[in-house]
Amino acid sequence: MTDQADRPEEILRLIESQQALAIRRFTPDPLLAFSSWGVAWLVGFGAFFLRHGLDGQAIVPIPLPVAIAVLMSSLMIAGGCMAYALHRSGGQIRGRSAQLGIVYGLSWAVGMICANMIAARFVSAIQDEALISLLFAATAMLVTGLLYIAGGALFDSWAFTGLGVWVSAVNLVGAMIGPGWHALLVAVLCGGGAIALGLWLRARR
Amino acid sequence: MSAEPLPELDPVIHAQARLRVVATLNTLPDGDQIAFPGLKDVLAMTAGNLSVHLSKLEEAGYVDITKTHRGRTPVTYVALTKRGRAAFDDYTKAIRALLDTAGGTS
Repeated sequence: MTDQADRPEEILRLIESQQALAIRRFTPDPLLAFSSWGVAWLVGFGAFFLRHGLDGQAIVPIPLPVAIAVLMSSLMIAGGCMAYALHRSGGQIRGRSAQLGIVYGLSWAVGMICANMIAARFVSAIQDEALISLLFAATAMLVTGLLYIAGGALFDSWAFTGLGVWVSAVNLVGAMIGPGWHALLVAVLCGGGAIALGLWLRARR
Repeated sequence: MSAEPLPELDPVIHAQARLRVVATLNTLPDGDQIAFPGLKDVLAMTAGNLSVHLSKLEEAGYVDITKTHRGRTPVTYVALTKRGRAAFDDYTKAIRALLDTAGGTS
């Protein structure tokens, strides 16, 4: 057995294929990292869209606690998928990336807790339940969009940043139009966008 | 005319197994280390084989090996040193240069 590749093109091919394999192993599976959130938004905000309808008339009269439970549980499942993907790709790696990841994860927790508490502050002042839903959803998606953009810069991922810009834009437009539209646009465009992005990245691996 | 015998290529990296080790470690950002079992899995090498190659790379100053404990279990972490990164960079540049000069003859 020879231990050497002899021709320069063989050597280059060896380097490239080994590095592609390594990057695949060390990067979270895009289906779990992106598409799982897409499914959660599609299902969770889809439930709110069905409850509110586009003009305030419910399409399917889903009770509020059920809609909240559907959204929260689908987000938790997506979070579980993400944690699994991160463990699989980075579980054997320690150092600077792991430290950045912890601070980045903390910034999600801080952002979501603050957004929810600020939204909750207005609950008693707003009579319209659909507007309250919009307030919670729009502040949470604001944090999501911004942290995706920042995450892309931190982890050198244009896909991450691109999704952040997309989520921010859809969230803004939806919030301007109204509660039912916001839920529909976030479900279809953000959810669908994240699912498509995950599938596309996965196909390119 | 036969192919060039590839002069001036770093003999430490030029062995295929070590080239794969260095190429893999080079994909990790500066400041990251990988646990020995993780590296072994990506490379699909046996532990003994990988250890031998890592020792050679460590002798050359190309990898940094840190032995520590996670709980009570001993863990070994591996990372490319600055020198190792530079050596890999030089090696790939030399290969590309060879490819360019050999472009018309092969």
